[in-house]
Amino acid sequence: MAFPHRPDAPELPDFSMLKRLARDQLIYLLEQLPGKKDLFIEADLMSPLDRIANVSILKQHEVDKLYKVENKPALSSSEQLCFLVRPRIKNMRYIANLVNADKLAGRTRKYKVIFSPQKFYACEMVLEEEGIYGDVSCDEWAFSLLPLDVDLLSMELPEFFRDYFLEGDQRWINTVAQALHLLSTLYGSFPNCYGIGRCAKMSYELWRKLEEEEDGETKGRRPEIGHIFLLDRDMDFVTALCSQVVYEGLVDDTFRIKCGSVDFGPEVTSSDKSLKVLLNAEDKVFNEIRNEHFSNVFGFLSQKARNLQAQYDRRRGMDIKQMKNFVSQELKGLKQEHRLLSLHIGACESIMKKKTKQDFQELIKTEHALLEGFNIRESTSYIEEHIDRQVSPIESLRLMCLLSITENAELPSLQSYGPEHLLTFSNLRRAGLLTEQAPGDTLTAVESKVSKLVTDKAAGKITDAFSSLAKRSNFRAISKKLNLIPRVDGEYDLKVPRDMAYVFSGAYVPLSCRIIEQVLERRSWQGLDEVVRLLNCSEFAFTDMTKDDRASSESLRLILVVFLGGCTFSEISALRFLGREKGYRFIFLTTAVTNSARLMEAMSEVKA
Amino acid sequence: MTWLWLKESQKADEYLREIQELGQLTQAVQQCIEAAGHEHQPDMQKSLLRVGLEGRAGQGWELSLLLSGSSQAASFGKCFLDRFPPDSFVCMCQDLRVLNAVRDYHIGIPLTYSQYKQLTIQVLLDRLVLRRLYPLAIQICEYLRLPEVQGVSRILAHWACYKVQQKDVSDEDVARAINQKLGDTPGVSYSDIAARAYGCGRTELAIKLLEYEPRSGEQVPLLLKMKRSKLALSKAIESGDTDLVFTVLLHLKNELNRGDFFMTLRNQPMALSLYRQFCKHQELETLKDLYNQDDNHQELGSFHIRASYATEERIEGRVAALQTAADAFYKAKNEFAAKATEDQMRLLRLQRRLEDELGGQFLDLSLHDTVTTLILGGHNKRAEQLARDFRIPDKRLWWLKLTALADLEDWEELEKFSKSKKSPIGYLPFVEICMKQHNKYEAKKYASRVGPEQKVKALLLVGDVAQAADVAIEHRNEAELSLVLSHCTGATDGATADKIQRARAQAQKK
Repeated sequence: MAFPHRPDAPELPDFSMLKRLARDQLIYLLEQLPGKKDLFIEADLMSPLDRIANVSILKQHEVDKLYKVENKPALSSSEQLCFLVRPRIKNMRYIANLVNADKLAGRTRKYKVIFSPQKFYACEMVLEEEGIYGDVSCDEWAFSLLPLDVDLLSMELPEFFRDYFLEGDQRWINTVAQALHLLSTLYGSFPNCYGIGRCAKMSYELWRKLEEEEDGETKGRRPEIGHIFLLDRDMDFVTALCSQVVYEGLVDDTFRIKCGSVDFGPEVTSSDKSLKVLLNAEDKVFNEIRNEHFSNVFGFLSQKARNLQAQYDRRRGMDIKQMKNFVSQELKGLKQEHRLLSLHIGACESIMKKKTKQDFQELIKTEHALLEGFNIRESTSYIEEHIDRQVSPIESLRLMCLLSITENAELPSLQSYGPEHLLTFSNLRRAGLLTEQAPGDTLTAVESKVSKLVTDKAAGKITDAFSSLAKRSNFRAISKKLNLIPRVDGEYDLKVPRDMAYVFSGAYVPLSCRIIEQVLERRSWQGLDEVVRLLNCSEFAFTDMTKDDRASSESLRLILVVFLGGCTFSEISALRFLGREKGYRFIFLTTAVTNSARLMEAMSEVKA
Repeated sequence: MTWLWLKESQKADEYLREIQELGQLTQAVQQCIEAAGHEHQPDMQKSLLRVGLEGRAGQGWELSLLLSGSSQAASFGKCFLDRFPPDSFVCMCQDLRVLNAVRDYHIGIPLTYSQYKQLTIQVLLDRLVLRRLYPLAIQICEYLRLPEVQGVSRILAHWACYKVQQKDVSDEDVARAINQKLGDTPGVSYSDIAARAYGCGRTELAIKLLEYEPRSGEQVPLLLKMKRSKLALSKAIESGDTDLVFTVLLHLKNELNRGDFFMTLRNQPMALSLYRQFCKHQELETLKDLYNQDDNHQELGSFHIRASYATEERIEGRVAALQTAADAFYKAKNEFAAKATEDQMRLLRLQRRLEDELGGQFLDLSLHDTVTTLILGGHNKRAEQLARDFRIPDKRLWWLKLTALADLEDWEELEKFSKSKKSPIGYLPFVEICMKQHNKYEAKKYASRVGPEQKVKALLLVGDVAQAADVAIEHRNEAELSLVLSHCTGATDGATADKIQRARAQAQKK
């Protein structure tokens, strides 16, 4: 059931080195402030920090108390304060307030600000404007790559998506380039580079510049990873907007996996406490079901439970010696497995309760109809009903975006959610999640036309308006070109999938993964000109092969995929599947793991 | 002995063997080599070295090549001394060649060997550079194989710095000459050379030289110093380093007046968005000015909308902000947004009035929630009025009322509502919501009114499997039949299940 890797699949490089590097650097930075100190940590950094250095390591290096950076005044009595923060202006003001309050009180303490992953000039400037630049010392903790799993590296920068794709802010590109540079220093240069997207291109160029400046050192290394593929999130919003049905994705959609771990509430743990569980390849049970379509998971788990029971039962009829053996060697493993199994069964039940209701079926059906481009009228009225029922604004927005991108249509529903969503809409449009058919005027014309229909209480006509408007969008054309909607005779067998479409119940092959597959097959963008044009990316698709004879055939089957702006677990599962089929192994580097809700939230304006 | 050997006297050989037997040959060779170092005459140096070499036959040919490049024959004697390390010999040859070169009367630096050793090669090179003897210095570097950064590059950089001071040569020629000589030599900083050029007052030349600087980080500070801020800005943007861009931006902000600064930004979208991000957090007023400057009414509208809920506290201020926003949207020809904004203003005022009259919390609720709150509070009339005023679409209103009344468990009012007119959303939602509140009795009331298409679903929801089966059979709908069948559980539904199976069989026969 769980797919084993092909025997010739290449070994993954050891990424735990990245953790050690980060830890050592943090310890070095902490030691720079000798003596007892209180550490203020930004909320976003807490989980990543936890994966690098636990509290006892911090204590070893004389961290006395830990505080969260928040909008409350801190009551620290320590003589030395250390702040571990993301380079955000908001944080600088927080620190400035604290320091200035001390000054007013005539108190002198030592302050140190550690920026992770790097400091920005704007931050230092704010410190200067607030008049405390001389009072604090600034440092950088270049911790930009967190190995969440054996094949997944995350930069843990969810704001990358909004900053770059909405605000046009390019400051994180440098961070990406630095991270790539670190990887090529540690694991050898990448002989083959491909990329698509404006951000991909900029990151690539900046990275190359870094390599040139520091020539010599890396060149001697044998490349461990043969290919690198950079991809902008805005190449493929559709995949990220779909509901996920692969177990890991579903867990993420339902419980929100945060920094590689999930909080299972009482309804899952069947006790009164919630439990934080690490989800990665080390969890043997999870590892076998993470990439499975949800419909298979339950059956698998119950089979597993039976096996487990059988193993427990073996102890009957054992003699003393065998029993001793059993207790000392196997029992612990079995117990562990038992615990994990019951957790995942609990999670499944909880998901089933939430999802197997009629609503979810309908929702999935609508999504598939949108992807395939039929029954648009029905889908549109489904979405309308969704809005009318005020189920959840984020859900409604997501469906509207999906409708808009796949069909080039737009559906306003402002009054129902409050004025700040007027801004959300303009954000979505700017980021390309709501598409415009033509710039400016036509769009507003469409909007007013539609809004009139709504206010005329002729909501039923709205669908007619849309079908008349629904110009075949690029997504349709791309989908056709790349054959994203597999044609199936009869039922799609989700147990033994044939292609990557299984991650969406056989209805749709993720566009991003298909692009990667096609380029790897051709070893270039050749022959994909039309697709690239349809993606509006003609200037930003690149291939760069440096002939490197030292690259072993094994390394040439290792591929690092860099998602700029985030990737979903469905995409990861799809590529893992592709890897198994073709004898590749994929390594994922993402600015953050994302899903449809996160994308929508990133675009939403909320009342602070 | 040297003398004897040079005369090719037979005695020499004898003496040599004698020395060897005394075990002092190594020392003798060493002394010969050192003596050569202190000798000023090249001929004498050669002789001494050749003697030294006698102890190290086989490598003697190097001597002539090393020392003068002439092919004067050197006689190679037998090897008397094995394993004498060649280093000191080679070094001496190199040193002597350097010394002889600088002692040449064209150069005129009569250094002794001891002085030279005291001085070190670096200082000697510096002296040559000061005397502008660049070619010789470079030759020495190359000859001694000094690392490029300390050697050739450094001297080339010095040369270039001298070159930029030649005022009689045109900027273009100087820049080209320098680039031709320097190329991409590692360790050469074009920005340093450019700084020198700028120091000599040759700004244009400096800019030309900076073109050759591969590291943008190095270009920008100098460009700023030279007051070429706009060029600096585009260089910084090219570099992709946002910090660099920011440095230039702040420089520009202080240097230019506001209008010019904004104009500059306008032509550089990347810098503009960077600055906007900064303003959003730190200087909101500047952000507004930026949009104003560009006549970007759409963004101005958004700005005021944000202000209406983020910065303004008093209701009057909020309405005023919204009014400004609406005006901006009209200017941006975004009537849709403008209308929505005006609606919001009306809503705010109304919510204020509701709070005054009814008490409770209404401000900042969405329209939908306002109506819901009214219904929940039992103010049905007001709710109706509001829905009419804001033209809430019928369907949405029905959903809203349905949910609110069910939450209240006001079944009487719900029934009245359901009968007020034909439901635009059908009656299945009524059934669903009643079942959600576990009121089967009420649910059944509505189940009978559900349209034929959804009848089966409704009947199943209220748990009336038998009737659902009848309806499905009547419809002759395969999907419905299987749906009902899947709901047949236990013994109670056995009869129903049979009935369906029979109906199916019959349908197949036909």
